[in-house]
Amino acid sequence: MTDQQDFAEALLAAESTFPPGLSTWNGSDPGRRFAVYRNNVIVSLIDALADTYPVTQELVGAEFFRAMAFQFIQKNPPRSPLLAFYGEDLAAFIETFPPAASVPYLADIARLEMLQVQAYHAADAAPLDAGEISQLLANEPELPRVSFTLHPSLGILRSRHAVVSLWAAHQTDDVTAALAEIAPNTAEAALVLRAGLDVEISRIPVGSAAFIAHLQQGLAFAAAAQQASAADPEFNLAAALCLLIQGDAITSVSLSTTP
Amino acid sequence: MNKTITAASLALALGAAMTVAATPAAAQNKMSDKEHCYGVALKGKNDCKAGAGTTCAGTSMRDHQGNAWSMVPKGTCEKTLSSTSPTGHGQLKEFKEKKA
Repeated sequence: MTDQQDFAEALLAAESTFPPGLSTWNGSDPGRRFAVYRNNVIVSLIDALADTYPVTQELVGAEFFRAMAFQFIQKNPPRSPLLAFYGEDLAAFIETFPPAASVPYLADIARLEMLQVQAYHAADAAPLDAGEISQLLANEPELPRVSFTLHPSLGILRSRHAVVSLWAAHQTDDVTAALAEIAPNTAEAALVLRAGLDVEISRIPVGSAAFIAHLQQGLAFAAAAQQASAADPEFNLAAALCLLIQGDAITSVSLSTTP
Repeated sequence: MNKTITAASLALALGAAMTVAATPAAAQNKMSDKEHCYGVALKGKNDCKAGAGTTCAGTSMRDHQGNAWSMVPKGTCEKTLSSTSPTGHGQLKEFKEKKA
């Protein structure tokens, strides 16, 4: 066990070292051979993060991103052989990484990109049809206690920064021109939802985002609407519901036992 | 929205949302502020990630040296910040001197 631990630690060490007890069959330098392996591990993991976080990388440049990713990898080695979700904690790491502090929205951009990956890989779920939703209206007194199960791919991000606009600017051909229109310190909320095989990222009102996030956490209809009204005086419940219905995002309804 | 949430107000909103959602196209921007930005199909990553790292070609890549973050982020963030007037601009410059 301890051999494995030494080996794993040396792989991700800041300086190139190699664990004791290594030997090579042909007499070549074990340090050199280990360095090749070590380098492949690190480069693969950095590449995996760069694939998952393309806009995060664009915001700070590849050189900065890759150096930051290496720091991250040393503290957060993969815990699964599947690299699809590797780097889930990158946003939290960015927040504690002083050199990134000059780009205050960087962590939320990373969160948005991870939600996109998670939405892409989330399970399928059939939406409620219009008839089933109409049935809710037949039992109006129970409506406040109804709770909604939302599509597994659905993600909400509420940010103090203009995350959706910044992210969307990086999907355009002329990024610089698109960025010129954006005030980064405007609060924005994102709805991430898969439609078929496409993950869609939309900017939605902050009240709608609060409502949907509370529903997702299991709050009943009335309580979620109440919270959203408190969070955003402009909250429009019909518009928020419309987002969910049009996005086929409601997969089941039930009566919650708690109000 | 009213401050008090009643069953009737919930029903009204749900009814309105269903009517709008059932009306194709024209309704899309009216009720929802949703802007469709981007649809993307990501390629899957499996447990054997092919790429630069799978060959020994990676050996000479020293790009994981850990000191590059002590520099100013060189991406589009600078453009973003300089193109608007709110706070937070000077930080990038001061940052250059800062040893992290």
